[in-house]
Amino acid sequence: MRMLDRKLLRDLWSLRCQVMTIAMLIGAGVAVLVMSVSSFLALRGAQLAFYAESHFAEITAEVKRAPRPLLARIAELPGVATVEGRVSGDVRVDWPGAEVPVAGRILSLSGSGDQPALNRLRLLAGHLPEPTRQNEAVMHAAFAEAWGVRPGDGIALILNGRREAFRIIGIAHSPEFVFTSRQGSPLPDDRGFVVLWANEEGVARAFDMQGAFNEVSLTLAPGASEAAVTAELDRLLLPWGGRGAYGRRDQPSHRFLEDELAEQRILAVTVPVVFFGIAAFLLNIVLGRMVEAQREQIAALKALGYPAFPVAAHYAKFVAVICLLGSLLGVTAGAWMGAGMLNNYRPFFRFPEMPYLLPVWLPLLAAATSFAVALLGVYVALRRILWMPTAEALRPARQTTFGGRSLGLLGSRLGAARKIPLRGLLGRPLRTCFTVFGIAMALPMVVLGLFWWDAMDRMVDLQFDRIERGDAFVSLTDPRHARAVRELARLPGVLAAEGQRIVPVRLRAAQQSRLLALTGLPSNAELRVPRDADFRPVPIPQDGIALSRRLAETLGVREGDIVQVEMLEGARHVQDLPVAALVEDVIGFAALMEIGALNRLMREDDLVSHVALRIDPLEAGALWQHLAERPRVAATNVKAVWLRAFNEVIAGLVLTSAVTLTGFGIIIAVGVVYNSARVALQERGWEMASLRVLGFTRQEVARLRVLGFTRQEVARILLAELAVAVFLAVPIGLLLAQWILGLILGARDNESFDVPAVISSGTFAAAALVVLGAAFASAVLVRRRIDRCDLVAALKARD
Amino acid sequence: MIMAANAAPLAGASRGTGAPPVFVARGLTKSYGSGDATVYALRDLDLEIQQGEFVVLLGPSGSGKSTLLNILGGLDVPSAGRAAWRDHELTGVDEAALTAYRRDHVGFVFQFYNLIPSLTARENVELVAEIARSPMPPEEALALVGLSHRLDHFPAQLSGGEQQRVAVARAIVKRPDALLCDEPTGALDVETGKLVLSAIARANREVGATTIIITHNAAIAGMADRVLRMGGGRIVSIERNPHRLAPEDLVW
Repeated sequence: MRMLDRKLLRDLWSLRCQVMTIAMLIGAGVAVLVMSVSSFLALRGAQLAFYAESHFAEITAEVKRAPRPLLARIAELPGVATVEGRVSGDVRVDWPGAEVPVAGRILSLSGSGDQPALNRLRLLAGHLPEPTRQNEAVMHAAFAEAWGVRPGDGIALILNGRREAFRIIGIAHSPEFVFTSRQGSPLPDDRGFVVLWANEEGVARAFDMQGAFNEVSLTLAPGASEAAVTAELDRLLLPWGGRGAYGRRDQPSHRFLEDELAEQRILAVTVPVVFFGIAAFLLNIVLGRMVEAQREQIAALKALGYPAFPVAAHYAKFVAVICLLGSLLGVTAGAWMGAGMLNNYRPFFRFPEMPYLLPVWLPLLAAATSFAVALLGVYVALRRILWMPTAEALRPARQTTFGGRSLGLLGSRLGAARKIPLRGLLGRPLRTCFTVFGIAMALPMVVLGLFWWDAMDRMVDLQFDRIERGDAFVSLTDPRHARAVRELARLPGVLAAEGQRIVPVRLRAAQQSRLLALTGLPSNAELRVPRDADFRPVPIPQDGIALSRRLAETLGVREGDIVQVEMLEGARHVQDLPVAALVEDVIGFAALMEIGALNRLMREDDLVSHVALRIDPLEAGALWQHLAERPRVAATNVKAVWLRAFNEVIAGLVLTSAVTLTGFGIIIAVGVVYNSARVALQERGWEMASLRVLGFTRQEVARLRVLGFTRQEVARILLAELAVAVFLAVPIGLLLAQWILGLILGARDNESFDVPAVISSGTFAAAALVVLGAAFASAVLVRRRIDRCDLVAALKARD
Repeated sequence: MIMAANAAPLAGASRGTGAPPVFVARGLTKSYGSGDATVYALRDLDLEIQQGEFVVLLGPSGSGKSTLLNILGGLDVPSAGRAAWRDHELTGVDEAALTAYRRDHVGFVFQFYNLIPSLTARENVELVAEIARSPMPPEEALALVGLSHRLDHFPAQLSGGEQQRVAVARAIVKRPDALLCDEPTGALDVETGKLVLSAIARANREVGATTIIITHNAAIAGMADRVLRMGGGRIVSIERNPHRLAPEDLVW
């Protein structure tokens, strides 16, 4: 079939612009697939490797103070494989150069100089503390990198109110702190939060924990039940002030990583499905029309004695070449974007190694998928022609009747030349729908890229302007009487202070349970204002508990239902409470009560554990200094600093996604508009050619052109049809965007962040402009082609 | 009456060689639709055509000419009746058998040429030579239609008459047993049409292909051995030309 192959090469070359635009469309789908799957695999691979290497604990429990010998009893529990106890505590860090107080957490190492049995450190530099040295510490890599700390540097810690100097002798990664943040914060704060490991003797002394532990980690024996071991562990720890054992699901670093992996997994499926859907749809139209345009050639091949198979194979090769081209583009771009995505992850997730890997099967899968999808598009058109009796296929395709439309009153007002585009659109309604829908699909891509800015604005607005109205948030070392609030309020620079009581709790409803922080707020709170879905303040319930809407959905409860609240502090009372209100939140899960009611539940005095502050920005520097000197202040979180970090981290991610998806939107818009115009041009060529069938000579057709159908006229008619389609497509595309966004965000399963499906009018306008611009550019390309080519010459042969 | 007109010439259909006919059709019927809406393209048609014969099918649009040609060429199947080429049944066989028949025995010339625009004249002819059993060199086929000087031109670079002659060359390159032409001059002017007819006549003569031409142009009838006039899906009359005219002597 040498001649058919030669035809293939010539067809590909003569349709090179169409071939390229379709290849890019396939490339976009392949790129998204390769990018999201490969970055997911790299992240998962790094996680599994690091967890295995470092013996990451499966169950962790915090306890107020338990004697060391209890560890042996824990080890004997059925289902427990390895147990490790340690002392941990929050510290303040006197770090010169930090504009806001640096908080930290110190964890004890056995003191033998060996790695712990569980949660082993991966040292990047230096070594573990020598057995006898109590003032040596290993520092987590995140803070070390942020500040350029090296082994040998010093650090001053305020441990339980006492200042102690440490020497950093090692820099390490830890499976417990792959994602490192202050408690409850969904963003890394590498410059403001540090994790340190030091020998047990010194740490225990600082926290009065000699011969005791306040944190226990364990791994499970094969086949052991996590729930059963957790329950047993809770039972053993309860007399010693156990705060509830939890599995990896509730381990902050792990949960955040799993949330991201879950999100990636969903993106790895939904976005390529959307893309391949669009690509399949467009390939169906474009290649289908291409085959339709070659209908008489195909019929002639059949009439000349070519069996159906080589003819079908010829078109399959055509598709294969386009797909191969698209896949090459897509795999290259996808691998590049995947590696970029992984780099975006690096500030969030600290692994000793996170190599970018492109498994061989992935490009093959992507190429095969694109080929299958494209082949489907061609198959439908080809089958119709191959199965059609040859005699019928040989006849020119039946002319459309244009629905016999008179165009009504509108028609009588329009000139003949203006009726042509209108009839062109109305006469082939299905095809017009396809074209309009195809162009419309470009908009969701651009919107998906740009909406993140809207979503982030909305998240910041809701969480930090409307809900968290304070400027700083102080954690106390232990719950204090409410008088502490008044003391802080008197500090210079403090405009208002409000106490909060935050208690770790386990919420249960039916089969669901969650570990989280229950916050008690004064009923007239102004620095923390719960809001409903319409942003209206929600009064803090005097009886019962207010839950965030997302938490209520996770627990499967509604307003008025009962949830069981197990206090994981103090006497660990368990109480059933009605869900009194639902509130909106963006970050984490909120559970709120009136502070007095919470104090009563805890059977305690008027205690507060945290204080929200509104401050005078001019006196902020001095205030941080004051706070740093107060022994009962464990940590101070500053909203402005947090917001700056948020913007820095998120802005990069959002920009990457915006640029990528906008590029894809342009590829779709150009792909559809350009190909529609080219196909229309071919078809108009046929219509002109049919004049010759009616008996017009070539010269007469040429004269006809002189009589009115100038090149410009033909161009105007063609492009007018497309312009109408584009303007119809924009509003449809915007509706589609809203729908697809809802679909993708609805498929998210992320407890750390709630991304609202908000699209601003600015985003809509920008998306519409991008698509209109792409359409206009394609029209210019086609127009130039019309201007260049001699229509009459083109009519002699149908191409 | 019609049956008589159909039946009468059958006995004398041969050119007197006594050889069996190559094309035989019996009771050919082709209908579309059903019930009252049934439209008949062919009605109970009988026909025999001899080896090497040059037959012109004349008739107005809708008379059934193309349907008959398509069935004889293995492009279409009748609703009833049977058709055969030598020992090849053309009815009641599958598409693969018809494809093999077309590939091995039939050359087609279409009204709209149906050339592959992305292949040159030579390549269009070679396209068929590639799948034929004992083709002549494509250059020879193009020489037979007087296009030796246009071998490497693309269809878009050829006039309509030249394109149709390429189509004729493409049809004869396989040395077909039957050359079937559907309105080969329909889209051409008089002089160009004559050039194409000359090419067909030469192929008929030199390749020995049994030739059937469909036309609505009665002037072409002069170059045939036999002229079958069709109407309403039947053969309404048959004329035998005592002398075939050369295409250039035709007047229309």
